[in-house]
Amino acid sequence: MNPLIEIITSSDDATRDQSLESVCRDASLNELLSHIEQVDQFRRSERNLYFRVRALFFLAAIYRYHLPARLKSDQTGLIPFDGYEHLLSRRFSEAIDRFVAEQQSGGPTFGLASALAQAYHELGFQTLADQVRRSVRTVRGNQWMFRLGHPADHPLRIRPELLKADAQSGVMPMLRESTAVRMDFSHSAWSDIFFLGMDFPEGARVLNVSVDLGVQGRDDHTSPPIETYLRVIDEPVLRLASVDLLAKTEVQSIADMFDFARDYLGLLKAAVIAAGIVPPGLEGCRQSMGELLERIVGPGKGLELVSSINDIPKGSRLAVSTNLLGSLISILMRATGQVQSLTGPLTENDRRLVAARAILGEWLGGSGGGWQDSGGVWPGIKLICGTTASEGDPEYGISRGRLMPVHHVLGESDASSETRQKIQDSLVLVHGGMAQNVGPILEMVTEHYLLRSEREWAGRTEAMQILDDVVQAIKDGDVKRIGEVTTRNFEGPLQTIIPWATNRFTDQLIEKCRTKYSDQFWGFWMLGGMAGGGMGFIFDPAIKAEAQQWLGKTMVALKRDMQTALPFAMDPVVYDFSINDQGTSAELRIGESAKMPDRYYALVLPDLLRTPLRDLSSGTRNELQRIGQRCRDLGSDNVTAGLLLDSVLPSSDGEDAQASSLHQTLQENGFDRHQHEQIRTDLRSGRIGLAQNRLSGNTEVADVRPSDVIDTRGGIAAKYADLGAAAIRDGQVAVVTLAAGVGSRWTEGAGVCKALHPFAKFAGRHRSFLEVHLAKNRAVTQKHGGSIPHVFTTSYLTDAPIRDHLQRLDNYGFDGSLNVSTGRSVGLRMVPMVRDLRFLWEETAQQVLDEQQQKVRESGRAALMNWARTSGEGNDYTDNVTSQCMHPVGHWYEIPNLLRNGLLADMLDQQSSLKYLMLHNIDTLGANVEAGLLGRHIDGGNALSFEVIGRRLEDRGGGLALVNGRPRLVEGLAMPNEQAEFGLTFYNSMTTWIEIDALLSSFGLSREDLKNATKVDAAVRTMASRLPTYITLKEVKKRWGHAQEDVYPVAQFEKLWGDMTALPEIDCRFFVTEMNRGQQLKAQAQLDPWKRDGSADYIDSLCAWQ
Amino acid sequence: MQVRKAVITAAGPNQNRLPLQQLVCRKGEDKTALQLIVEETIDAGIEEICVVIKPGDEDAYRNAAGSHLGSLQFVEQPEPKGYADAIYRAKDFVGDEPFMHLVGDHLYLSSSDVPCAKQLVSIASEHDCSVSAVQATRENKLPYFGIISGSHVPRHEGVYEIDRVVEKPTPTFAEQELVTPGLRAGHYLGFFGIHVLANDVMTVIGELLDQPSEKPPTLSDALWQLTKRQKYLAYEVQGTRYNLGVQYGLLIAQLAIGLSGRHRDLILTEMVDLLANRSEVAS
Repeated sequence: MNPLIEIITSSDDATRDQSLESVCRDASLNELLSHIEQVDQFRRSERNLYFRVRALFFLAAIYRYHLPARLKSDQTGLIPFDGYEHLLSRRFSEAIDRFVAEQQSGGPTFGLASALAQAYHELGFQTLADQVRRSVRTVRGNQWMFRLGHPADHPLRIRPELLKADAQSGVMPMLRESTAVRMDFSHSAWSDIFFLGMDFPEGARVLNVSVDLGVQGRDDHTSPPIETYLRVIDEPVLRLASVDLLAKTEVQSIADMFDFARDYLGLLKAAVIAAGIVPPGLEGCRQSMGELLERIVGPGKGLELVSSINDIPKGSRLAVSTNLLGSLISILMRATGQVQSLTGPLTENDRRLVAARAILGEWLGGSGGGWQDSGGVWPGIKLICGTTASEGDPEYGISRGRLMPVHHVLGESDASSETRQKIQDSLVLVHGGMAQNVGPILEMVTEHYLLRSEREWAGRTEAMQILDDVVQAIKDGDVKRIGEVTTRNFEGPLQTIIPWATNRFTDQLIEKCRTKYSDQFWGFWMLGGMAGGGMGFIFDPAIKAEAQQWLGKTMVALKRDMQTALPFAMDPVVYDFSINDQGTSAELRIGESAKMPDRYYALVLPDLLRTPLRDLSSGTRNELQRIGQRCRDLGSDNVTAGLLLDSVLPSSDGEDAQASSLHQTLQENGFDRHQHEQIRTDLRSGRIGLAQNRLSGNTEVADVRPSDVIDTRGGIAAKYADLGAAAIRDGQVAVVTLAAGVGSRWTEGAGVCKALHPFAKFAGRHRSFLEVHLAKNRAVTQKHGGSIPHVFTTSYLTDAPIRDHLQRLDNYGFDGSLNVSTGRSVGLRMVPMVRDLRFLWEETAQQVLDEQQQKVRESGRAALMNWARTSGEGNDYTDNVTSQCMHPVGHWYEIPNLLRNGLLADMLDQQSSLKYLMLHNIDTLGANVEAGLLGRHIDGGNALSFEVIGRRLEDRGGGLALVNGRPRLVEGLAMPNEQAEFGLTFYNSMTTWIEIDALLSSFGLSREDLKNATKVDAAVRTMASRLPTYITLKEVKKRWGHAQEDVYPVAQFEKLWGDMTALPEIDCRFFVTEMNRGQQLKAQAQLDPWKRDGSADYIDSLCAWQ
Repeated sequence: MQVRKAVITAAGPNQNRLPLQQLVCRKGEDKTALQLIVEETIDAGIEEICVVIKPGDEDAYRNAAGSHLGSLQFVEQPEPKGYADAIYRAKDFVGDEPFMHLVGDHLYLSSSDVPCAKQLVSIASEHDCSVSAVQATRENKLPYFGIISGSHVPRHEGVYEIDRVVEKPTPTFAEQELVTPGLRAGHYLGFFGIHVLANDVMTVIGELLDQPSEKPPTLSDALWQLTKRQKYLAYEVQGTRYNLGVQYGLLIAQLAIGLSGRHRDLILTEMVDLLANRSEVAS
C-alpha cells in the first residue's frame, strides 16, 4: 500500500499521526508524481469523509510545498483558463480534472502545481463545510425546520403568558434574557474548530468560564453584558432592534428575513431563523410575515426582539456575537415553548439545544464560531470536550466525533469559590484595540492539523497537556501556576502551530509587563483565536489594582506608537469582570416594569415622533404615554429624559470640522481640482470606467517569444556579475522602494501603512517591510562594498508615519544614505458608479463562495449598490476620516515625484557617480541589488529593464505580452478579456532597473534640468498625458461605534508604471528571474504558505540584520 | 376487558356548541354531531354514555341527542378547569369499570367496515389493557394533539407499547423525544380522540388534580403517569378523525362524510360546479 494512504487509513495512532513530510521529504519528482496519482485515485473512490479530506490536503500540500521544489526553474507553463473558471465557480473536481489532464500531457509546471494546490485545498475545505452543514441539519430538534415549507404549516405557538396584557396598565408582558460571555483558559490549540472536534474528539477539549463584564472607568459594576428582550406587539411584523448598532427594522416579508447583509441586524435575523420562528425551510417562500405571525402569535399581532451588548467592542475574543446569538435564540425558544422554562436559568438539555441552534445560526449568517463559543449560556467554569460518535448519532459512520461537544460544569471540588475569587483578584482583562478576522487562522489550523507536520503535531500534543495542567492548577487553587501555564501555551504550542497568533504589539506589551513587574507579573493569557484584541494579564493580587491602571495607560501609549503600522480598530480598554455562575437566565416583566432599556427608546423615538399619532398602533401610543410619564416624573431616573432629548434634538457632531480638514489636507498635498472634475465628468459620462480600462477588443495580445526576454534563471555569466559588482562598489546604483500605497488588500482597507507592518519574525523579532529592504541593502554593500542610497517613496498617508518611524528607530541602524521622497500628487475618492460595481461583481469572473456565504455576500453587494445610488454616483467620497477619503494616484507618479520634489537632484549632487536605480514594490521582498542583473542591465544599455517571473495561479494582475507584435507589460485591468492573461507565461514583478540619464531623456530632461522646477513639472505633465488613466475600485474601511467596521468600495484613478513599456521611444528589456525573487506578499493569508514553502528563509538569507 | 361505558367530554370553552351542529350522515339523514358520536360509541357495544357538559347546556344537548337519549347521562363541569378535570367529573359514573372516552368535538370515519371505536374496543379486549387510538400526524398538527412515542408490538400490526405521552409538544421536543420508529420523517403518533381506559386513570387524574400546578392537568399528563403504572398500548386506527374545532373543521368533516356516503355524486357535482364558477380569489 502507498505509504501516504497507509497514514490516512491506519487505525494505529502512531501511523495515523505521521506527517506528510516523513514520506515526501526525500522523494524524487517521479516518486512524488506516483504518490499523487495513487492518493488521487484513493480519494476519488474512498467513502470515508475524513480519509477523503486528509487525502485532499495531502495532495494540496504536495503541489504547494514539495513538487515545485523539484521542478527546474524554467518549467513555468500556462494554466488552462477553463480550469480556472471551474475553480472560480466552485466546480473543484472539474478544475482538478482539467489541470491534471494538462499536467499529464505537458508535464508538471509551477503554474499547474499552484493551480492544483489551490483546487485541492478548496475542495478539502468544501468537503468539510458540506459535512458540518449536513450535521447541523441532522441534529435532532433542528430537522423539522428544514422540512417546513409554508407558514400555514407552522407548528410553533407563542406561550400564553406572553399574550396576556397587564389588566391595569394595558402593557404587554416582556421577556428579558441576560447572558454572560465566555473567556477560555485554553482551547487546546483551537481544538474547538468543528472539523477538528469531529475528526479528533479526544483532542478537542476547552476550558472556559462565563463572565460578567464592565468597562473600567465607565461602568460601576459588572453585569452580564448581553441582554435581549422580547414582547408581543399589536402589528403583524417582526420588529428587530440593536441598541448598540443603533439599527432597527420591521421585517414585513419572509424573504427580508433571509436578507442578512441588508442592514446591521443580520445576527438578529439569523437568530430568528435558527430559533425556528422563521425556519430555514421557508427561505424562498413569498409569503408575508403577517401570515406567519398569525399562526405563531395570533391575527394582527407581531413580535419585537431587541438586543444590547453594553457596547462591548468587536474583537473582544469573548465570543460576544455567538453568545448574543445564543441569548436571542434562547429567549425566542422560551417564548415558543421549545425550551421548557420560561424564566430562570436553562436546564442542561435546553442549553445544548440552544447551543446547537447557535451553531446553525452561525452557519446561516456565513460566519463560523467554534463549538465552545456559546459557553456563556452555561454557568461558571466548564470543561467542554468532543465526544466520539456512537450508533444513533447522525455523525456515526461519517466522522469519528460528534458535532456537539459535552459540557462538564466544574463543581466546588474542582474549582473552589476561593480559587474563583483568586482568579478575579489576579487577572486583568483587556481589549488591546485590534479587531482582526480570525477566519484565516482557523483555516491554517485545520490544514496544519490534517498534515500533521512534526513540529506542529508536537505543539498540539503539548497544548493538550497544558489543558490538563490548567485544570489541575485550578483544582489546586494556584493562580500563579495558571499564569505560567497559559504563558507557556501562548509562547509554545500556539505560536508553533500558528506564528501569526501573536504580533509586535502583544509581544511588546508582554515585554513591558515583565520589565515593569518582573516576578509579580504571573503570566499572559491569549483569548480566542489570536492576540491583539481581548487578552488577559495575570498579576500578583498585591499589585493588581496598580497594574490594571498602568496597563491601561501603557496599551494606549503603545497603540499610539504603532497605529500607523498595525490595524487598530479602537483605543484599548480595560475591563472589570466577575465569574458568572448562572449562565443565561430570563425573567418575565409585567406591567410598569415591562420596559425596554432607555437606549432603545432613544433609538425609536425620533421616528415615532415624526409619525402622526393616529397612525400609531394603540400599543405604541400607550408606550409613548408611559415614556412621557417617566420623563415628567422628576423623582425617577432623569438620565432617561436626557437621553431621549438628545435623540430628538440636534447636536453638534463635528462634521463641519471634518470637511474643512479634508479640504485643507487636499490643498497641502497638491490636489488638482481641475483634473478631478475632468475625471468625474468622464466617469459619469462613461468615457472612463472599469470596462474602459481594457484595451480594445481587436488588440492582438499574445505570449512573448523566447527572443523577447533575457532568461536569467539558469544563472548569469560571471562577466555581468563582475560588471554589476563594480558598479555597486563605485556607488552607481540606488534603490527606490515604492511605499506610497497603503496595501488595501493587506489590511482589507484599514488604511495603515503597509511598509511599517511588522509582518513576520526574522532573527527573533517581528520586522517590517521597510526593515527587510534595508537589511538586504546592507547585505549587498557588505558583500560588494560601496554604498547604495535607499529611497522610500511616500504619499500623504505614509509620509509622516514612515519619517517618524525611521527617526524613532534610527533608520533601523542603516548607515547608508536613506531618503524619503514625499508624494506630490493626491486624488479624492469618489462614490463608485453602479455600472462599475456591476462590471466588477457581475461581469468579471469572481471566486464564488460557499453557498451561505455567497448569499450573504450578494445581499451585501445589493446594499452597497443601493448605497452608491443614494449617495450619488461619482460624488466626492467624504463620509470617512480624511485619510480614507484621499488616495495616492498610482505608482507611476512616484518616479516623477522624485524629479519634482528635488530628491533625485540632491542625490545626484551628493553622489555624482549615481547612474542606475532599482525600483521595486514594497511587497516584492526578494528584490535586491543583485550584481548579475545589474550587470546585464548596464551591458544592455537600455533605459528600463523590467523583471518578470513565471506565472502561478495567485499571480494575477497583468503580465508580459506581445501587443500588436511589440513586447510590453499589460496591467490586469487593461487586458482585453480575462482569458488573455492566462495565455501569458510571465508575470510582471514590477522590479525595474532604470538608467537615470536615459529615463530623464525620455522625459525630455537632463541632469541639469532637474533644478528647474517649471521645466520638470511640464515634462512630467506631458509624459502623464501620454499614459492611460485607469479607474479602480478600492475597498475602504469606515470605523464607527465600538470597533465596528464597514467596508465600502470607492472609485479612484491611477496611472501605472508598467505602461512606460508601451511608449515606443523608451527602450525596454525584460529579465526573467527566479520565482522567489519576484514573489509578492499582497494579503496576510499568504503569510503562512510563504513561511512554510521556504520563501521566508530565502528572504532571511538575503538580509544582514542588525 | 369488557367495555360497557363511555365518557364524552363537551365542556371545553368555545367547544361546547360543536356537538350540537347539524350535519348530514352517510345515509343522507340530518343528524347532530353528538348523534354521530353517540352512534359511533353504541356501534362499539357501549351501553351507557356520560356526556360532560358546561353548566346550562343540558337542554340543548338533550335536544341534540336524538333517539339515543335513553343511553345518555349528563354531568356538568362547574368551572373550566381543564380536560383532565372534565373526565374526572365522570368518576362516579365510571365506577370500577373500564370505559371508553371520546372527545365531543371530533368525528370519526373508518376506512374499513368496522367503525373506529369498535376497532379500538377489540384491541383492548384482545390485550386486556388500556388502549388509545392514534394516527400518524404530520408535525404541523402538533399544536392540536397529544402525542405518544412508543415501540411496535411484534406481530400486532398498528399496535404500540407507549413510552411517552406529551400534550401538544413543540416540533423541537417531538423530534428529540417522540420519534416512533417506522413512521415517515416529521410524523408522530397523535391521539385520535378515542381511548379505552382502565378506571385507574381516574385515580391518577385525582392525584394530579390534588397537586398544585400553574396549568390545569391534561389527559396526556394523566396517561403519561398511567404508562408508568400499567400496560398501556396505542393502536393506529384504520380511519380518519375530523376536528370540528378548527377553522372550516365542520365543513371538511361534512365533506368527508358526504363523500363516503350515498350522496357522494351529488356533492362531487356541487363541488365541481363551485370550482368552475368561483374561480376568482377575493383579495
